[in-house]
Amino acid sequence: MISITSKICIIGDFAVGKTSVTERFVNNHFSEKYLTTVGVKIDTREVERPDLGINHKLVIWDVAGSDRFDAAQIAYLRGANGYVYVADGTRANTLRSIVYLKEQLSELYDELPTVALVNKSDLRADWEARDEHFDVLRAQFDHVFETSAKTGDGVEQAIDHLADRILDSMHQTP
Amino acid sequence: MSFPERVADYIQRVILRGSQPLCLLVDEEYQLLDFWGNPDWCELDELRAGIDARDPFEFLAGLPTDRPETLKFIGSRHHGVLHVHVVPETRQCYVILLDANAEHDAVQSTQQSMNELRLMHARQNLLIARQRDLISELVETRSELDHHRQEAERVSANKSRFIATMSHEFRTPLASIINYAELAKEPDAGSDVMQKSLETIERSARHLSSLVDALLDDGSLSAGRLELQEDAFDCYALFDDIATMMAPMAAEKGLSFATLVDPDVPRMIYTDAVRLRQVLINLLGNAVKFTLEGGARLVVAFKDNRLVLTISDTGPGIGEEDQQRVFEAFERGTRQGETGAGLGLTITLRLVELMGGEMSLDSVLGEGCTITVQIPVAVEDAEQPLERAVLPIPDANTQATAPRSVLVCDDDEDMIALMEHYLHRSGYGLITTSDTSDAIAKTIKFDPDLVLMDCNLPGIGGVGAARSLRQQGYDRPIVALTASKLSSTEQEAFTRYFRKPAQMDELLSEIKRLTH
Repeated sequence: MISITSKICIIGDFAVGKTSVTERFVNNHFSEKYLTTVGVKIDTREVERPDLGINHKLVIWDVAGSDRFDAAQIAYLRGANGYVYVADGTRANTLRSIVYLKEQLSELYDELPTVALVNKSDLRADWEARDEHFDVLRAQFDHVFETSAKTGDGVEQAIDHLADRILDSMHQTP
Repeated sequence: MSFPERVADYIQRVILRGSQPLCLLVDEEYQLLDFWGNPDWCELDELRAGIDARDPFEFLAGLPTDRPETLKFIGSRHHGVLHVHVVPETRQCYVILLDANAEHDAVQSTQQSMNELRLMHARQNLLIARQRDLISELVETRSELDHHRQEAERVSANKSRFIATMSHEFRTPLASIINYAELAKEPDAGSDVMQKSLETIERSARHLSSLVDALLDDGSLSAGRLELQEDAFDCYALFDDIATMMAPMAAEKGLSFATLVDPDVPRMIYTDAVRLRQVLINLLGNAVKFTLEGGARLVVAFKDNRLVLTISDTGPGIGEEDQQRVFEAFERGTRQGETGAGLGLTITLRLVELMGGEMSLDSVLGEGCTITVQIPVAVEDAEQPLERAVLPIPDANTQATAPRSVLVCDDDEDMIALMEHYLHRSGYGLITTSDTSDAIAKTIKFDPDLVLMDCNLPGIGGVGAARSLRQQGYDRPIVALTASKLSSTEQEAFTRYFRKPAQMDELLSEIKRLTH
């Protein structure tokens, strides 16, 4: 098995559930308690791809929430292999935030594999996000997932999808 | 400028004590070449030269080693929270790790309060927005409810008015019938009184019959049960008929009446002549009824396989606010003081739609009214013989000119007596019965030239009896004479179908045609 290590950055506005998404993906666990992330929290999970003979170690950088990057946060993203943008369906402005963050990032770094997560699908009845918000999101992101870190819906699927796209991009890179 | 030696020592001691630095030297592949400081606080037991530094320090993965970098608050479950400083050297670099746990906890506490406040503010805004939406929904629902309530009140008022109108409409002719029947029964009633009484009774009964027809038509149209009886006919004859009927009505009110038929209109068309006649009578009848001065006219044109009928009058017109409502059942706009059930335009519109056509109204209050009806029609070959264009000559048309017999089956004694009277007078031999089994037996036994059958009869009913006769080989005409409405399938059991009350001369004329 070949070991490949990839750095994935989880980014998005504050309190959208980035840490919860990471916790669900890494430890299959969820906590109702909201704890603000300061700086960045790093965690890892290995994803085996026996069909490709690859052991894919994902080093996940859970970056503190923000609707725009400052210099310190931009430093966290250096050397990343892919991005997970997370928004909160109950706050429509967080969908706009990730569109803005992506635009900001595209001016600084090369295009990388990306997925967008609209989180908190367990609270769909309270969603502010409407079709028109999703239309804007889909115009910016090729892959948009509706997820719930609380129930786990869509989380694994979204990050696995990103991991596959990262492997694809490595395969395509000469 | 450098610090005095004593100050530099002091600063170094403070920093060393506060942030417990650990310095790593790694090569470009992140292999640990050496390290300085105490690694115990990092909970890293096996830090030694030669290992991949990315294993204990995951943040090194992807971190450039060829440029200075400062990463603040790097947290991990292995080493807590660090500030990381990268100091590059040739083909290797120093990575200085400073313990930032205490600083992190202080910042985290402030940041947590700030974010919770922002979240609360966002939720508050959301609640305010929802409350605003709910209020506007409530206002909208209330306005809809008001609208529905007004509509229900209007419909209810219309129905009440309709019942009052119908009550009046029915009572007037009924009163005439009763009173004139009583008058005719008076011992001293002369033949003049008798004749006038009977004429009045007949006229009133026919008026009642037309009211019932209008109500039934409206019911059938509403339930979608009305079927068209399409056939080829001479539409010029129909327009002449209509003109003959309307002109005296207009003249009686001192109005002009004109019918203009464009020469392009084909003579023979294929549609439901009875319903087309009904549409024209309703619209022209209204035009004459509501016009007090001037006149009414019918213009007929033909365009794109559609018959275009334009009915205009110089009457009071219909205000814009009434134009939609006059097509609704029991509505008569604001034109009060005229009789009728208020069903005419409703029925007319539905009939036109049933025939696949359209109807439009153009009117300005006080300036008359123009109604345009467009009905798609098929054009028939003019050479075909016309049944209906040949008008029968009275008497000669009803009188039997050869010995003929008719079996009459009806459970209403008065009706049997009436038919006996007319058929005897017309020279027919008669067999009468009120029972379907008896009717079948007598028909098979005596083989009459025609069977006149009521339908709403006990047992298998008139339709069942007609079907049974056909099955038993009786192949002469069977004519239905019934107050019931027959479906097209039921009508197939009969040679002809007449609705009660039938025009007696029309019925007798048909009996003669079928038996001679």
